Amino acid sequence: MSRRRVAAITRRLLQQFRRDRRTLALLFFAPLVILALLGYLLRGGGSVPTMGVANLDTGPLGGVVASQLERSNTVSATNMSQADAETKLHNGDLAGYVVLPPDFSAQAQQARVVAPDVRLEGSQPGLSGSILQAVSQSFTALASTAGVHFEPRVTYLYGGPNFDTLDYFGAAFVGLVVFFLVFVITAVAFLRERGQGTLERLMASPLRRPEIVLGYMLGFTVLALIQSAEVLAFSLLVLHVHNSGNVALIFILEALMAIAAVNLGIFLSMFARTEFQAVQFIPLVIVPQILLAGIIFPVSTEPRLLQVLSHVLPLTYAVEGMRNIMIKGADLGWSSLQLDFGVVLGFAVLVILAGATTLRRRIA
Amino acid sequence: MATGEPYAVEALQVSKRFGAQRALDGVTLRVRRGEVYGILGPNGAGKTTLIRSLVGLIVPDGGTVAVLGRRMPSLDILARVGYMTQQAALYPDLSAAENVRFFAEIYGADGGVREALEFVDLWDRRDSVVSNLSGGMRTRCSLACALVHKPDLLLLDEPTVGVDPQLRVQLWDRFQRMAREGAAILVSSHVMDEAERCDRLGLIRFGRLLAEGTVAELKRSAGVERLEDAFLKLSESSAA
Ligand SMILES: Nc1ncnc2c1ncn2[C@@H]1O[C@H](COP(=O)(O)OP(=O)(O)O)[C@@H](O)[C@H]1O
Ligand SMILES: [Mg+2]
Repeated sequence: MSRRRVAAITRRLLQQFRRDRRTLALLFFAPLVILALLGYLLRGGGSVPTMGVANLDTGPLGGVVASQLERSNTVSATNMSQADAETKLHNGDLAGYVVLPPDFSAQAQQARVVAPDVRLEGSQPGLSGSILQAVSQSFTALASTAGVHFEPRVTYLYGGPNFDTLDYFGAAFVGLVVFFLVFVITAVAFLRERGQGTLERLMASPLRRPEIVLGYMLGFTVLALIQSAEVLAFSLLVLHVHNSGNVALIFILEALMAIAAVNLGIFLSMFARTEFQAVQFIPLVIVPQILLAGIIFPVSTEPRLLQVLSHVLPLTYAVEGMRNIMIKGADLGWSSLQLDFGVVLGFAVLVILAGATTLRRRIA
Repeated sequence: MATGEPYAVEALQVSKRFGAQRALDGVTLRVRRGEVYGILGPNGAGKTTLIRSLVGLIVPDGGTVAVLGRRMPSLDILARVGYMTQQAALYPDLSAAENVRFFAEIYGADGGVREALEFVDLWDRRDSVVSNLSGGMRTRCSLACALVHKPDLLLLDEPTVGVDPQLRVQLWDRFQRMAREGAAILVSSHVMDEAERCDRLGLIRFGRLLAEGTVAELKRSAGVERLEDAFLKLSESSAA
């Protein structure tokens, strides 16, 4: 073991990074961005799930429970009619509602049992959990003083009691896995072409720039489509991820994302000199998107400012589209799915154009 | 140019700077079809920059470049030009034959893969993946890629570096044969003994063409016996 030789390697490494300012900036900048984002997401005063309370009770207890819920700080509860609540549930404005029946007080006093109807939207397990918890908490005061049993009747608009976290994340990840892998592979392959000198050769050949872009796109699209099919089959057949939608529709959305990813890879590789720098797009471009696209934290519970950002990111729509199809069984007749498809399609077209123009400019 | 046929290469007063570095400084050069023209000069003289400007990879700051009678850049003309880069530029995961076939298709050539690989003595190794070939073999494979479409103008940037002496002699014989068959060949080199095999030579240094002519003419004008001495003498006198 020679200290001098070890020191030589260490010094060389640091010298190298001094020339590569970009990597250095990323090394010290990216973690702060990601952590700040995460901090803001979790502590930035995000909103709580919204729920409705339909109090039909003719006795006094319904009012007590309702006001208890309205004061809760884990949900935002509002009084409304049952019909109103059901409509809002379908629109996605409510994560759930509770109905306190006309004989609510009577039942509690005579039969020593309270049986409210809890209806949940169901596509987001986290939100459903919060609501169930808030509802049961609002009854604890009642239960301890009067000694009544709490037996809610829970029904779901989507999913069901067996709908678990994998069903929720699975729908988003089917599209995401393909998107990110295809993006990274395209960017690296394109930079390798530059590094090994074959791009120079192609540029000195009669090839036209759009031919290069199209050739790349088709080649990677073939791979991406096979991967999409594989991921989808594995999720549905092996993992049994919940799916109430049309498989062909899922595949089309996945394929659109894959095509967008290929072109995003080509486009962003124009801003990197080496494969090493291309990999740096992962913490810079990809991680913030994972945090903000509603994959882990529902967009509706983010702090307002981040919600604006989320609604600009195309990935948000892709994720929502996947969930619309797989969890809610949406088809192209749904206006929300039309929006999702429209945004993803528009994004794909945009990066195709961006990739083709930057490629032309950069090489010329 | 009795037939009135255009030059294969006609570069007029071509200049190119990289920052403060003058890579090319008013180079004028004409290459006819049927000749092997050698650009001879030390490392950093501007050989690669000159060749890259001929295929439009570099846009000169000054001067004009015409190839096969057309102002560059022109995609139609590029289909008739073969370009071998200084470092063997190949797809390492493809076999030798797959690489050559790829470039044949890019240049719109039908077949010719076997001929090209035989030209560089690689037909036996056609199915070897490039990353498993030796450095010299890669150079030869790269050469095969450059000439598979039977170009009218072949630009070779130090093509024989790393190739063993026996094969080097063979390659030069073949370059000359291609020239006899009507192609124009522009070869750069920093090795003097290779230069003896060129029909005409241009001596380049600090981005300037110092002298031009046949080997005999260059020796005569410098008044020396060996080409090395001629090169030294001519670069001294131009620096003075
Ligand atoms: N892309 C570039 N950027 C900056 N300088 C360059 C570039 N290409 C060439 N040069 C400089 O131009 C000069 C000529 O280089 P080059 O044409 O490669 O020489 P040769 O091929 O004769 O060895 C050298 O000083 C080199 O450093
Ligand atoms: Mg060179």
